[in-house]
Amino acid sequence: MKASKLLLPLLLATLFISCDLTDNNNDITIVTPATYEFTRNGESTVSFTGQTARIKMATELFSAMSDFDNSTEELLLQMYRNQTADGGDADPFSDPALNAETKSVKSKVAASTDYFSANTTVSAQIKAQFEEWISGQINEVFPNENQLAEPGVAGQIADGSSTRYVNGKGFEFNQLVAKSLNGALIADQILNNYLSTSVLDAGTNREDNDNGVLDGDSNYTTMEHKWDEAYGYLYGTSQNPANPTPTVGDDDIFVNKYLGSVNADEDFAGIAQDIFDAFALGRAAIIEGDYELRDLQAQILREKISTVLGVRAVYYLQSGKNALDQQNPDYGAAFHDLSEGYGFIFSLQFTRIPNTDEPYLTKAEVDSILAQLTEGNGLWDVSPETLNQLSTTIADKFDFTVEEAAN
Amino acid sequence: MKKTIFLFLSTLIFLSCTDNGPSGPDVDDFDREAILVNWADNIIIPSFQNFAAETEALKLASEIFSADPTLQNLTDLRSQWLDSYKAWQHVSMFEMGTVMNFRDYLNTYPTNANESSFNSDESKTIQNNIETGDYNLILPSSRNTQGFPALDYLLYGLADNDAELLSFYTTNDHADAYRAYVTDLTTRIDTLTDTVLDNWINGYRDEFVSNTGSGANSSFNMMVNDFIFYYEKHLRAGKIGIPAGATNISSGNPSPIHVEAYYSRNFSKILFMESLDSVQNFFNGSNFKSQQSGESLDDYLDYLKTMKEGTDLSTVINNQFEISREKAAVLNDNFVAQVDNDPFLMLATYDELQRNVVYLKVDMLQALNITPDYFDSDGD
Repeated sequence: MKASKLLLPLLLATLFISCDLTDNNNDITIVTPATYEFTRNGESTVSFTGQTARIKMATELFSAMSDFDNSTEELLLQMYRNQTADGGDADPFSDPALNAETKSVKSKVAASTDYFSANTTVSAQIKAQFEEWISGQINEVFPNENQLAEPGVAGQIADGSSTRYVNGKGFEFNQLVAKSLNGALIADQILNNYLSTSVLDAGTNREDNDNGVLDGDSNYTTMEHKWDEAYGYLYGTSQNPANPTPTVGDDDIFVNKYLGSVNADEDFAGIAQDIFDAFALGRAAIIEGDYELRDLQAQILREKISTVLGVRAVYYLQSGKNALDQQNPDYGAAFHDLSEGYGFIFSLQFTRIPNTDEPYLTKAEVDSILAQLTEGNGLWDVSPETLNQLSTTIADKFDFTVEEAAN
Repeated sequence: MKKTIFLFLSTLIFLSCTDNGPSGPDVDDFDREAILVNWADNIIIPSFQNFAAETEALKLASEIFSADPTLQNLTDLRSQWLDSYKAWQHVSMFEMGTVMNFRDYLNTYPTNANESSFNSDESKTIQNNIETGDYNLILPSSRNTQGFPALDYLLYGLADNDAELLSFYTTNDHADAYRAYVTDLTTRIDTLTDTVLDNWINGYRDEFVSNTGSGANSSFNMMVNDFIFYYEKHLRAGKIGIPAGATNISSGNPSPIHVEAYYSRNFSKILFMESLDSVQNFFNGSNFKSQQSGESLDDYLDYLKTMKEGTDLSTVINNQFEISREKAAVLNDNFVAQVDNDPFLMLATYDELQRNVVYLKVDMLQALNITPDYFDSDGD
């Protein structure tokens, strides 16, 4: 509120100055808004409730996967689908607002227009992959709650003072699910759906946006809303969604969290501000009907958000390597790191190289890397050399080095 | 953060090189094997032998008590528990060898006593283990229901007076299970200790002293890192900082439940002082039995002529141990009472302990050209 009041004169001043400078050219300079607040007729035009709901659903699913006393396969699958097995209404969440939702996590997994609208077989396979992990937690890990993990045997293993629960190959299914959602849900929806011209400019969106035609009873144009939905997948549970950068990293367990981690690494300092600015400027550009500027911001977001996933994939491979590469390998610490790493690597097939229709790593490349982590007895067998080599393979696809990502 | 430290270290290395000149003592010329041999043969193995004898006696005392739970046998068991716990303070920092996380099995506190205690949302409490008989002490998830802190609860914390406490072992519905649990705990401690000692004597000692390099995986680097890690996390934070409210673990609030030997109340300072002695002895290479000084970190620093503001760094560090000891001397024997009555006095001890973290972790590691191998995890 305060910020916008301060901002308004500032904006006016800027507009005034730029008008002055551009000499009646009608070519106004759009400045990057300091906060993500946009209004029409005094009412906010920003809305992303569906994204907030999905982040919360995925968070409940993640935590329920470790609830040995209360969780069942049926309950966890209902949390993923927000439906019963035969498609009926389900109430699996502890938050009643989520039970009232008709939305679900599953419907938006591997579901972007650009990557999956003509690729429904792969989309279905990826959706099913998450169900396999969820079922594996109940059918392989839960029965072995009170077993020591060994090669080929699910059970528990110490990671410092924490206790981790892994499958026979050393993977934590809850980490595979949560970290893979960073790509399959969050990044895919942002980068390949809501920031895409195929979605932003669908139907009469441009015309409507130019003419201020609103979306039904809502106070926003369809194009404005699509952009906000992208924003909501990153900032939907922020403490202050209008100004989310001060608490970035603390506001969810998905991409927001890891944007905070990467931003805290000196090699990538400022990336959180860059991402916020691109969202805010892109939204301001939509209001002004400047679609070139909008799409420029979308390309920035594709590069930066993809980079966050790439950095964390390499970071966890390196952490896991360090835990294994010592006189007494610390398997517990390594398995936890590499389970997180697996999910981030899985996520890389949903990244997007700017100005292309391609991910930084293709599905085939991702699958080949993951196969090297899972073959034989999985993480019990994997060598530090392999982890180094996979780190290089990934870093080479991006604009950072293994060393920059590792610390 | 790590970057900053690295840059900081690099700067220091650069400065020290120019200070010493090209003809100064080289860090690689020192005979590290002499230190490794002194550590293994005169400190680590004798400390473990002493501890193993104590845990054997603890096991015996618990068997006598379980067979005949009288007040006298309880008193004897408590006394042997304290002797063993004191001896533990001299081996706790040595996590190398076969058994990973040895320390967590023997000394995780607060212990998960019963449904009303800390961490009570977990189903596996000591009380629950005893009443259901459903427990397996080899599992990592059972670490907060075993070891010295669990015995502390069972020997002191079950009731407010001895007669009532003894009734848990005599007339309680689960009296047999209580007696069995006590011997299960002491057997577990003794067995784990024997495993570690056996590993040191039969093979690991030779591997340890012959791994004389200076890389990240050399014995010297790993041991020095383990030593500082123990000092920072377990001595400074675990025994003083967390109960006094110096860390985020208790959100900056004093937290008596985090005191070591919480239930017996009067031994927390004794255990802390033993731990401080063991750390300083290790730094100076003091023979566990004779207390005679042998080759260790102090000699290495002196050889390198490492100075801190005009004084030998080894002297600075030893002085700081003394200052910490003097600060701690005025604390109540019972840290629970100390935390309740005057946490600031405990914070004053913490501050002195913290100064040596800097001397050890920054100044000493820089002089020895060792990179810290542990960082605070990202917490997920």
